[in-house]
Amino acid sequence: MKPVSFLISFLKYSLSFIIVLALWEAYARYGGLNELFLPRPSKIGAKLYSLFVKVEVIEQGTIYWHFYATLAQMSIGFAYGITIGTTLAVLAAFNETFRRYVAPYAVVFNVTPGIAVLPLIIAWFGFGWESKIALATLVCFFPPFINTLTGLLKKNDEAIELFQTIGATQSQYFWKQQLPNALPEVFAGLKLAITTALLGTIVAQFGSATEGVGILMQRFAFRLDMAGSFASLVTMAIMGLLVFTIAEVMDRRIVFWRDAKGLERVSKKKQRKLMVNG
Amino acid sequence: MAATAKKTEDLSQFGQTVIEGKNVTKVFGETVTALEGANFDIRAGEFISLVGPSGCGKSTLLRLVAGLIEKTSGDVKVNDDLVTKPRTDIGMMFQKAVLLDWRTAIENVLLPSEMKHRITQEDKDKAMASLELVGLKGFEFHFPKQLSGGMQQRVALARLIQTGADIMLMDEPFGALDEFTRERLNVELMRIVGELKATTLFVTHNIQEAIYLADRVMVMTPRPGKIAEIIEVKFERPRDISIQTSREFNIIIEQVRDTLGSH
Repeated sequence: MKPVSFLISFLKYSLSFIIVLALWEAYARYGGLNELFLPRPSKIGAKLYSLFVKVEVIEQGTIYWHFYATLAQMSIGFAYGITIGTTLAVLAAFNETFRRYVAPYAVVFNVTPGIAVLPLIIAWFGFGWESKIALATLVCFFPPFINTLTGLLKKNDEAIELFQTIGATQSQYFWKQQLPNALPEVFAGLKLAITTALLGTIVAQFGSATEGVGILMQRFAFRLDMAGSFASLVTMAIMGLLVFTIAEVMDRRIVFWRDAKGLERVSKKKQRKLMVNG
Repeated sequence: MAATAKKTEDLSQFGQTVIEGKNVTKVFGETVTALEGANFDIRAGEFISLVGPSGCGKSTLLRLVAGLIEKTSGDVKVNDDLVTKPRTDIGMMFQKAVLLDWRTAIENVLLPSEMKHRITQEDKDKAMASLELVGLKGFEFHFPKQLSGGMQQRVALARLIQTGADIMLMDEPFGALDEFTRERLNVELMRIVGELKATTLFVTHNIQEAIYLADRVMVMTPRPGKIAEIIEVKFERPRDISIQTSREFNIIIEQVRDTLGSH
């Protein structure tokens, strides 16, 4: 995109956002909006300012500490979740017995609302970080599992024949064809998992916690501090956007062959590299 | 059987037997006879077209030679060696190009070499040469999705050349391309096999293409799949595309049609 057209579209988006906020603000001030339901944007803004800029201490920590705690719990849970999910998927892809007898349990796990298991999780793992990590793991392992499995089992008879005629071993076929061929599905699974991991972490914080954005939200809401609750919500949205963007960027970097732009970028890079080497 | 009855063929101009089939039969499941009692004797440097409608067993025959499927009865020999498992001394091309989307043209061409050893500069030079031979100089670093269907098949051909195999098996490689692209690739293939002097088995359902390229055309008929007739094509090589309008060429077309029609 050209810088000028980017600037114009940025201005258009900002303008529409400002109009919505202005209408909301006006309604809250002059239209009699009950601020116990919906606080006016300026108050949410002021709260965010006090949290992020003036670094107000709430629940024995700054917003940055709560942000960090949530992000860390989520990341660890996510790491466990994708490790378990993809490992099970690889085992299921290569072993039909395993696929037949173990995969159904994964499906049952998935259709059981993972969040409902929270009381059990707390009973097992206590009130510390472990229970947050455990719930995040539990709710996010399924998308990487099912997507990786689907990707690895994609039917590709001609590729198999090709690899046979060039004398490929099983492992060469896996690394050079089957795995890269599955990557688009794998990453689609990871993108789903990263947002559900965040959900699991925050819900676990509702159960019991001493730090985290979830606990902030809960305390503010219990005190009917609506500006605070909404500021927490905005913080969660920022976190969600942040992790999703990271996943998205990684997806575009690694699975570059999905769109024309990615292909062009890598193609040019490889050409340049050859020019230098050659 | 027509194939065995016609023993007047002159194979002396070619080398020794490279691919041999004796009474080869393939039954899928219990009842589907894909190929029945096929006899063939293919000489070094020959270009053989297998032509016939869907279900006549031409792809089955090709896969039996490649060792990708097992025969039900009879013998298939390549270089005097019974075919029992996938062979790596043959190169294969499919209807789809079967390129790896995440690899550039040259990286796709290098794939067969990677199976044997670490890539050397020599492999790279050879790959560049293969791509040049198929007319893709300047496209070495394009990805398959950046290339047209015809160009993708050229990459597949370059990959086949890279294997160094002197037996090339092609399963309707131009079947999914438009008529103009197909014709152009036919001319190029004619030039390339001339340079490589490889033995080629070429499956197609296009009669013109079959005759234009081949030294001998094996006409196959379905249900059950059989070699109905083997017709020699005696035009001198390299052949110009214009021979397709000549009288002799059209006589052969008629001959193939008659065989296909009488079954």
